[in-house]
Amino acid sequence: MQVGDKYQHEFEVSSEIYNGFLGIFNDRNPLHTEKSFANAKGFKDVVMHGNILNGFVSYFVGELLPTKDVMIIQQEIKFHSPVFLADTLSFSATQSAIFESVNAVEFKFEFINKTDNRKVAKGKLLIGLI
Amino acid sequence: MDILKDVNTIFIDVLENDDLVITRETTSADVEEWDSLNHIQLVVSIEKHFKLKFSANEIRNWKNVGEMCDAIALKLSA
Repeated sequence: MQVGDKYQHEFEVSSEIYNGFLGIFNDRNPLHTEKSFANAKGFKDVVMHGNILNGFVSYFVGELLPTKDVMIIQQEIKFHSPVFLADTLSFSATQSAIFESVNAVEFKFEFINKTDNRKVAKGKLLIGLI
Repeated sequence: MDILKDVNTIFIDVLENDDLVITRETTSADVEEWDSLNHIQLVVSIEKHFKLKFSANEIRNWKNVGEMCDAIALKLSA
């Protein structure tokens, strides 16, 4: 794993993921569950939970990196635009640093919504190589 | 440059303890939040702040904050 290494993946915010998130975490805020409420707040439809994206980040760390010997040490994410059901997100992550002293690597990542090409979120990850 | 003062600021930020005051004699046993995962974040923040890199061997034998500061000073003077 070297600085500059880039990883890409596409994630669809499927009804299975949305309903699974609702069922597990029970966040039924009307922004996420009532179209009329979301419309009144200026959104075209119910807004997907932002933390679904953190699940995708977890998949990246656990499944897409070339080693399974990993553990998230620190994670930051900033949300820039809403995501709606059935949107497909293009995820990319680039290794931005390596810290040999503590066996850790840093990634910068972002999600782009393929529906409208808007940046959905970006963030940073510090991952320990255990 | 007051390295200890800068390191103290980093400790406050990483450990999220605004009241924390460290000295050269401070060890991880003295600071509740200074656990193994926070130690990684501390070292990463120190390397970024001072724009230097340590090896695993270089940090392995740090016994307290003073030895950490001495290692930083040595790197900066190199």
